[in-house]
Amino acid sequence: MPAGLDNLKHIVVLMMENRSFDHMLGGLSLVMENGQKKYPKINGLTGTESNPDTQGAIVRVQPNAKFQSQLDPDPDHHFPGVDLQIFGGAPRGPGRVPNMQGFVKDYFTQTNDVNRSHNVMYYFTPDKLPVLSTLATQFALFNGWFSSIPGPTICNRAFAHYGTSFGQVGMDLFYIKDPIPSIYERMVQAGHTAKIYYYDQQSSTMEIVNLLKNQPQIFGSFSQFIGDCKGGTLPEYSFVEPCYNDHPGPGGGEVLASDQHPDHNVQEGERIIAVIYNATRTNPDLWKSTALLIVYDEHGGIYDHVVPPQVTPDGYFADPGNTGTGETFNFDRLGIRVPAILVSPYIPRGTVVPGTEAGANARIFEHACIPGTVTNFFLRGDAKRTVREKNSSSFLDLLTDQMRPDSDVPFFNLGG
Amino acid sequence: MATPTNAIFVPRTEKGAYNHDRPAGKLLQSQTLHLREALFQHLKELSAVLAIELSSLKTEGEVSAYVHKATALLHTHARQPTGK
Repeated sequence: MPAGLDNLKHIVVLMMENRSFDHMLGGLSLVMENGQKKYPKINGLTGTESNPDTQGAIVRVQPNAKFQSQLDPDPDHHFPGVDLQIFGGAPRGPGRVPNMQGFVKDYFTQTNDVNRSHNVMYYFTPDKLPVLSTLATQFALFNGWFSSIPGPTICNRAFAHYGTSFGQVGMDLFYIKDPIPSIYERMVQAGHTAKIYYYDQQSSTMEIVNLLKNQPQIFGSFSQFIGDCKGGTLPEYSFVEPCYNDHPGPGGGEVLASDQHPDHNVQEGERIIAVIYNATRTNPDLWKSTALLIVYDEHGGIYDHVVPPQVTPDGYFADPGNTGTGETFNFDRLGIRVPAILVSPYIPRGTVVPGTEAGANARIFEHACIPGTVTNFFLRGDAKRTVREKNSSSFLDLLTDQMRPDSDVPFFNLGG
Repeated sequence: MATPTNAIFVPRTEKGAYNHDRPAGKLLQSQTLHLREALFQHLKELSAVLAIELSSLKTEGEVSAYVHKATALLHTHARQPTGK
């Protein structure tokens, strides 16, 4: 086993909100150095990708993304809206071909403003996102990590906790009726340690009824996470939630949402990613024994050019009444691509995990890979889980034998 | 640990970003629905404990079972920790 796996004691997952791969990291493919692409393996933007607007004009991707006040109203990312984004409004039926041509059309249904409907085609240049861009180019970037469902937050986050959404494609309340335990239950019942760290009580968690009610002991706060990193008391598996809303802080301060969900400020999300990275990076024992995955739950209605691939169905289905499209969804294809980065000192600089652009060499990831990987590593795969999770890819094989020296890995200066 | 070559400067979040009067989106509204449902479930547990007739608790074992239930509801930190 590589030294990176031999030394691995902790897996930390930070799940951000509602931004697509191309929106956040697609600009890396346009960075030139000495007349050539600096990052040729990254499947980002060429600058020619486009969508038609409702007037028939061709709207190209543009480097005009702003940190805030640009995606208001919040772009649609519920099942019918994402269906339009992926299939471009083609008549429903078995012969439909996904073309990623319906993002602008869909946003127009909310804005009723042709110019504003173009905003979902905007992307950040790497200099605007120094944290995410640095981590993406210094560690492992996944070209093919997709949201689990072409739909919204709650059902996608369920895949990170259970490896399935139990047939849900929306935001409704649902109860876990099938005997598939959460990754936290699996870990605890096997004598391991696991915790969900939500930001604070004003922000709380997005997996409330099933986990907060039935397993309150697995929760901690963000300040406890930082303390656990410093004190060497981090559980074997940690799932970290950013702050989901702006609210007054203790003593009258201001606590900003850091989840990057439109229309929350993207810079604040950069800062929480940097804080979490630094918390592992500055404890030498933790740094060499931790793999940190930064991933987004879904694309938030913002453009990405990669067609979501098929996936092994998990036996569940959502009927036409629940999908809102008039068609049954069999959980046989993934949602839209999201940013995902794996950080460890055992990952060579500039690692890019090939996605669908690599054809037969593609490695496809989605959120079921999270409990799948944790279960395989800590529990040797011993847990009741869905076929889909069992078939999902593990991301820990990216850890190698060679630990990079401190001088070769970044440190974020948050003094600004 | 940080050196001039590997320290990445992270800018402060722009001023004026904070707005607790921003209308809550669907995700946050959904969160309140989920929380309320969890509270209803909590209420059922609380009601079940409140319904226990205290005069029926005759033994130390019965009392300890009651005290356990009541304390677990009042003090979530008293529940058996499972993390480190």
